[in-house]
Amino acid sequence: MAASVNLPDLRTEYPPHASGRGPADRSTLLGLLPGIALLFIVGYAGKFVEHFLNIYTKAHHITFPNIEYVLWAILFGIVIANTVGVPRIFRAGVATYDLWLKVGIILLGARFILGDILKLGGISLILVFIAFAFSVTFMTWLGRTFHLGPQLTTLLAVGSSVCGVSAIIATQGAIDASEEDSSTAIAAILALGALSLFTFPLIGHALHMSDHAYGIWAGLAVDNTAEATAAGALYSDAAGKYAVLAKTCRNALIGFVVLGYAIQWARKGLASRAATEQLENKAAFLWKKFPKFVLGFLFISLLATIGSSTNPHIAALGFNKLQLTALGNLSRWAFLLTFAGVGLRTNLKDLFKQGARAFLVGAVGEVAIAAITLLLVLGADHFYHL
Amino acid sequence: MSTLRTRISTDTWAIVLSLALALIIRSGLLKTVPW
Repeated sequence: MAASVNLPDLRTEYPPHASGRGPADRSTLLGLLPGIALLFIVGYAGKFVEHFLNIYTKAHHITFPNIEYVLWAILFGIVIANTVGVPRIFRAGVATYDLWLKVGIILLGARFILGDILKLGGISLILVFIAFAFSVTFMTWLGRTFHLGPQLTTLLAVGSSVCGVSAIIATQGAIDASEEDSSTAIAAILALGALSLFTFPLIGHALHMSDHAYGIWAGLAVDNTAEATAAGALYSDAAGKYAVLAKTCRNALIGFVVLGYAIQWARKGLASRAATEQLENKAAFLWKKFPKFVLGFLFISLLATIGSSTNPHIAALGFNKLQLTALGNLSRWAFLLTFAGVGLRTNLKDLFKQGARAFLVGAVGEVAIAAITLLLVLGADHFYHL
Repeated sequence: MSTLRTRISTDTWAIVLSLALALIIRSGLLKTVPW
C-alpha cells in the first residue's frame, strides 16, 4: 500500500529539528500530505497577494512597487514559523521543500536549450573558479584571524564558496568536523542567505542590472540553493532562471571541493580512518557527492533542444512549444512550494543563536564574496554581454 | 503491508517525479498547466 512505503528520510534534511520540534516519526505518503498542502496554501497566498495588489493599486491609481509572490510566500512562512509555529502534523511535509526545489530545477531544464547552458554555464564556471579561489583564501584567513577552529573555518569556507548547506554536510564527514561546528556553519550560512533575500534585489535594482547579470550574480553569491533561487526570482522570473543555472554549476563542483579538502586533511593526518578509507576510490567518492538531480536538469534540457530542431523527424522526439510551456509552469509551481518552505523552516531564534565570532566571520566573508562576484559578473556582462 | 526498506535519496525521488510529470505532458495526458 502506498501509505506504508518509506519515503526518503526527509528528517535528515536541514534544518535539524530541535527536540520537541521534530517532524512526524514516519515519512509516509499520507504523513507528508498535510505539510505539502500547507506549502501550497502559503505559496498560493503569496501569489494571490501579488495578483491582488497589482489589480488594486492599478484600479486606484496608487504607485506601489510590484512585490513578487516569492517575497510574500517567504514572509508568510516566516511569520507562521516564528509566531504560532509549524504544528507537528505538518513538519514532515514541509521538509519536502528540498524535493520540490530539485523537481523545480529539473523541470526548469525545459526553459534552456543546451547551447545556452554551455555558454552561460561555461561563463558561470569560470566565474565560480575565480570566486571560489578568493572565497577559500579569504575565509581561511578570516577564520584564523578570528581564532576559529580549523574545522569550523573549513566548513564556513566551503559553505560560502561552493553551495551552502549541502557542501557543509558533505564536507563534515570528510574532515571529521563536529556536529556543533557543522550546525554553527549552517546557521551562519542560512542567516546570511536570509539577509541576501532582502538586500540582493535592492542592490540589483540600484545598479540597473540586467536579468541575466543579476541572476548569475545571485546564483554565484547566495550560498544555499533555495535562497539563491528565491533571490533570483525576487528580481524577475528570468533572473530566477539564470540564478538557478549559475547555482547548479556551483553545485556540480561540490564533489571536487569536498574531495580536495578530504585529501588535504588525510595528508595532514587529521582525518579519521573511515574518512581516509573513503578516498581509496576517488571516482566513487566524486559520484557519491555529485548532485544527481543536475543530470535530470540536463536530460530535460536535451529534450527541449531536440524539440527545437529544424528537422521535423528529430524535433518529434523532443518537447514541442506547448509542452515546454507546461513544463516551465510546473517548474514554477514546484518553486512556489519551495519558497513557502524557505519561510516555514526559517527559525529566527535559531539563526542568531550561533557564536558571534562565527557569524561575524561568515558575514564579513559573505559581503566580500558578494562584492567580488558582483564585480566579476559586471565585468563579464561588459565584455561578453551576458 | 509491504515495506520498501531501501532508502531512496531526495535526488532520485526528484528525478523520478520530474520524469513522470514530463512523460504525462509528453504523452498529451496533460496538455496545459496554468500559472
